Amino acid sequence: MQIDVVYRPAHSLAKVTLPPGESIVAESGAMVGMSPNVQMQTQSQGGLMGGLKRMFGGESFFRNTFTAQGGQGEVLLAHALCGDMTVLEMTELGYFVQSASFIASTPNVNIETKLGGFRSFFAGEGVFVLKATAQGPGRMLVGAFGGIEELRCDGNLVIDTGHLVAWDASLTYSVGKSGSGFIASFLSGEGLVCHFSGQGRIWIQSRNPTAYGHAVGQLLPPRSG
Amino acid sequence: MHYELLQKPDFTLIKVTFDQGGEQMLAEPSAMVAKDSGVEMKTAIQGGILAAAKRKMLGGESVFQNTFTATAPGQRLYLAPGPEGDAEVIQCDGSTPIFLSSGAFLASAPSVQLDTKWGGAKGFFSGAGLFLLKAIGTGPLFFCCYGGIHSVDIGGAGYICDTSHIVGFTGGLTYNVNRIGGMKSLFFSGEGLVCHFNGHGRLWMSTRNPGGLASFLHPFRRVQSS
Repeated sequence: MQIDVVYRPAHSLAKVTLPPGESIVAESGAMVGMSPNVQMQTQSQGGLMGGLKRMFGGESFFRNTFTAQGGQGEVLLAHALCGDMTVLEMTELGYFVQSASFIASTPNVNIETKLGGFRSFFAGEGVFVLKATAQGPGRMLVGAFGGIEELRCDGNLVIDTGHLVAWDASLTYSVGKSGSGFIASFLSGEGLVCHFSGQGRIWIQSRNPTAYGHAVGQLLPPRSG
Repeated sequence: MHYELLQKPDFTLIKVTFDQGGEQMLAEPSAMVAKDSGVEMKTAIQGGILAAAKRKMLGGESVFQNTFTATAPGQRLYLAPGPEGDAEVIQCDGSTPIFLSSGAFLASAPSVQLDTKWGGAKGFFSGAGLFLLKAIGTGPLFFCCYGGIHSVDIGGAGYICDTSHIVGFTGGLTYNVNRIGGMKSLFFSGEGLVCHFNGHGRLWMSTRNPGGLASFLHPFRRVQSS
């Protein structure tokens, strides 16, 4: 399978070329176009419970599997918001992915929802994290709001939860407040941050979707209920 | 006249340079960014009130359009779409029509005629809201979308495109609006309606759709206190 990301960075589009019989699993709504020999199948992976848990994790309940039949196929995938995408090669330990950043993966990638803990849940920041692991080689496509920057964590690193895309599962992380107390952390505008420790890579997005939503949403006419 | 597409692909700006006086360009209202003061602008209802009303209702285009006329060689006109994203140009050859989805038309030579082609029962009743504007004539036709523009040259095998990502296509293609997958996909896939294209021609797709942005922003709106 070949994945080319074109029109980077603002309006990136992933062009997936599938050899006959190969599949890619994509987040619902990600498909822009495809060749007619590609079959789409909707399934709730991990059964009903898996689906419900995913929905709780801020993702859609279902994912779609696209399979090329009787020849090479093409699927075009995109993120809803403007920004870049990148392909991560699966590693032995796998990755943690911020739930809204997941776009697609090879079928051998197992996606598990990790709840970010009560604190993050109440803070409304939607820090839901997926764990992606695979037996053998596999690939995952992640998308960002804004540009994607790869950071190297060598010891300790603090990242705003709104800017997280994905990180190596070799890193340990904990979500917490940014300042010394809740008030300081609230006033700083930084809200929740993720404390990383260990050795590994972290991919961040250069814009925070929630901050953008607040900036623009306030200017729109009020909605009812 | 000759033209250049600047600032591609994120914030495309069209620069038209008129070779001689009397040359004209037709554009959507508010598409003008800048012009030499010698370029005359006239606002008119193109093709009569009925054609304009049809265009407005079905094609999402404005009733009024502006005609820019050069009065001397070398005069410039800059045009840009409303949303961030790409714009493209195709040279209409006088015989092959170009179909544009509603809102995609930006500007054209006045010899290019615009009409609303009924999206067809298949587009209308399925809720796709797929209304197409048919452009035919000779000269350049500029179109735009939210996001990047990705083109596919369709041969015998055909192509499938999500209806909310269609920007336009050439007249050699035929299409059917339908759903992909089985009954379960119908309700749960999150993929909307798709357009199945056949024949030979070029299809332009947008890499983003404004509906996706709108649904993202919706929860951030203030809640009306009643």
